[in-house]
Amino acid sequence: MCRFLLICSLILTWFLSTGPLQAQTPTDALMMDKGQICFAALYSRDTWDEYWEGTLKRTNGNIGTLTRQVFMPMFSLGITDRVNILAALPFVSSQASAGQLRGVSGFQDLSLWIKANALEIYPGQGTLTFHTTLGFTVPAADYLEDYMPLSLGLGCPDLSLRGILQYRLDMGLYVRGQAAYMVRGNAKIERDYYYTTHGVYSNKVDMPNALGYGGTLGIWMLNNSLNLEATYDGLHTFGGFDIRRQDVGFPSNQMIFTRFGGGLHYFVPFVPGLGIIAQANKILTGRNVGQSNMITAGLTYQFGLWNTSSSATQQ
Amino acid sequence: MNILRNIFPLGLLVVILMGFQSCTEDLPTYLSYDPYEYASLDQDGGNWTPNLLSSASQVGIPAPADASSPAYLAELAELKTISGQLTGDQRKAVEYWAGNGLIRWNELAREMAAKYNLAPAPNADGTYPGPDPMNPATYPLFPFAHPPYSSRAFAYWAAAQYDALIAAWHYKYQFNRPAPYNADGTIVTHLPEHDLPGYPSDGAVIAAVSKDILTAMFPLEKDFILEKATEHQNSLLWAGMNVQSDIIAGDSLGRAVGQIFRMRAANDGMRNAQTPRSRSDSIRDAAQATHGWHWVNLESPPRPVGITPFFSKVQLWVLPNVEIVRPVRPPVPSTAEFKTFADELEHTLDNLTNEQRRIANFWSDGLGTYTPPGHWNRFACEYIVEYRNNPLRAARTLAYLNMAMQDAGIACWDAKYYYHYPRPIQAMPGFKTILGTPNFPSYTSGHSMFSAAGAEVLSHIFPQEASRFQAWSDEAALSRLYGGIHYRFDITAGNEMGKVVGQYVVARMIVDGGE
Repeated sequence: MCRFLLICSLILTWFLSTGPLQAQTPTDALMMDKGQICFAALYSRDTWDEYWEGTLKRTNGNIGTLTRQVFMPMFSLGITDRVNILAALPFVSSQASAGQLRGVSGFQDLSLWIKANALEIYPGQGTLTFHTTLGFTVPAADYLEDYMPLSLGLGCPDLSLRGILQYRLDMGLYVRGQAAYMVRGNAKIERDYYYTTHGVYSNKVDMPNALGYGGTLGIWMLNNSLNLEATYDGLHTFGGFDIRRQDVGFPSNQMIFTRFGGGLHYFVPFVPGLGIIAQANKILTGRNVGQSNMITAGLTYQFGLWNTSSSATQQ
Repeated sequence: MNILRNIFPLGLLVVILMGFQSCTEDLPTYLSYDPYEYASLDQDGGNWTPNLLSSASQVGIPAPADASSPAYLAELAELKTISGQLTGDQRKAVEYWAGNGLIRWNELAREMAAKYNLAPAPNADGTYPGPDPMNPATYPLFPFAHPPYSSRAFAYWAAAQYDALIAAWHYKYQFNRPAPYNADGTIVTHLPEHDLPGYPSDGAVIAAVSKDILTAMFPLEKDFILEKATEHQNSLLWAGMNVQSDIIAGDSLGRAVGQIFRMRAANDGMRNAQTPRSRSDSIRDAAQATHGWHWVNLESPPRPVGITPFFSKVQLWVLPNVEIVRPVRPPVPSTAEFKTFADELEHTLDNLTNEQRRIANFWSDGLGTYTPPGHWNRFACEYIVEYRNNPLRAARTLAYLNMAMQDAGIACWDAKYYYHYPRPIQAMPGFKTILGTPNFPSYTSGHSMFSAAGAEVLSHIFPQEASRFQAWSDEAALSRLYGGIHYRFDITAGNEMGKVVGQYVVARMIVDGGE
């Protein structure tokens, strides 16, 4: 069954004037069986009218409400029962309700992940699993990251390693924790001098690395056709600098947030392989990011690409 | 077994991550160059004409101890010990200051401009506070280093350096005390040696002028500036280039010249440039009565006063007056002629190419940057190094460049507030930009005037590079159209007027003795 996530919708939270985000992180503990593929089409709408300028929470009459919309196709393919490949390519548009700056839209970053089931044991009345994900993200278009808060993304390549630990009771309830360390390459902007906490004579921007983390409580119900989750997660950027008073954001700002959200994934009866995703998140605390409210909706569809020895019809 | 089987690949991933990280390099924070031998010494430099000093000898310094005196021999012995064994930090300082401190101080001035180039945030009630030079540390910090402020800071710094170094050259050749390594061949030096007399130290003059002028312009940076000036002067000892008495004399000369320039600055009209709202309103009303239009700030909440309405009244360096470069009246908004320009702008922004976007951003030099005058200072420093200018000649380049750009700015601000012309976002309903619209009227473009004046001066100094400077100036001007914040007639007029300002400054250069 196509259960790759509620997760994917970790997607793109944009941050403030700054930045974005990190996109798409397959953070769940589900795997596609060998030969199975699942496509997802997700739409997210993210708005904020308050942001943190450093640690100062404020509004900005020249931004008003910032709205980002993301359409993200993605897929997850079972190479083997224990190794999956995932990919996503979001199309983003952003605009501000006030001020004089043009909105922008275009493809953001292409992401690829390899996900492996590294451990699966059966203590007590449940299953303990550990998954690991190696992800690579690269800007897919020549968007301008130096255009906060409207820019489409951070504009840097990003390599991430994630660990996902889950314990699921046989009755369907589960708890999951995950963390990823993201190593970022330079962003490249269109001017060759900028000021952070000092002047830099280059069009390259040294991007700080970051830790993403989260904890989830969820349950599978109705004969495994409905998945409900509540998630508390966050991003912590190591290094970077604060937006100064009345300055605009910059890709290498120190972006930090915590967020709470919930969602569901429902597999409709009568149409085998078709699922519906709905999710909502709100940023609770932050630094150099907008206080986003995000809603996500989407469809998933799973089918067998090739015959395999394992059970492709497993529910 | 699963665990074991996955340890190896996991370890591999960690190694890949670390390798990815190590690809990131240290990004440059200053111009890196090898210390160079001066292309010329300009032995007659003491006879060149200063801009503010009445003569090269207006500020006196004591005669040095004779080269054969016990006091001087003791200084040489001390220097031999100092430069003979450097710590790693001392060596780094010598490499950083690298024989022409003007480059570093110009960078530091640019960095301060960038740091302080932020507009005040609004108060909760929608009003705006302003920086107060009497209480610089109270938000909003003093100064707000917008382009007019920064152009003036650069100009004072550079013009004072030039006058002080003319005086230093005058005394070098009057007293003719050799450089220490020429007096004692056993002294170890860490920079290229030259035959300039050592007293007073030109490096110490540069540090002292910088300390004096930049502290006045950026008072909150006082401690930082002092630390840098001390390191700079010490680096002259560490490098074996000057004895202590060279440095003391240079420091005293530099500070005295700096004070003379600060006295000019205190009464040059800048303190009244940021007018109160009542005066700003009457300037606006006068424009409405004369022209039938006026500019309005469209930020939210609106800023009631534009940037420095009376910068036009600030004392000029070279240009006789601003009226001689006041451009012709721009097209009347709402006429067919205006609509042609507005349509061009709208069409350009609606069909912006990646290259046009790059140009707009490359030259944006907006808030939080060193401003357009800072950009041209950067170019000047690169060519000063490439052409291996000695400090006096480098100061001459920087002085005329920056006097030209400040004069261009003053003249530009005259046009801006005389014509009080609406920005595209005001005159073209619904029009949006890719750069933030600055808080002052449209006509003429400041970028265009600063750049054209700067290019004119640099083209005179480095004629082999003239076509490059001209191309940069044209591109900087056009960048404002691509950004959506200027009409083409703003930049055409700005370029023309800036060029004229540059020509006045070049005319001064031709007769100052330094050609």
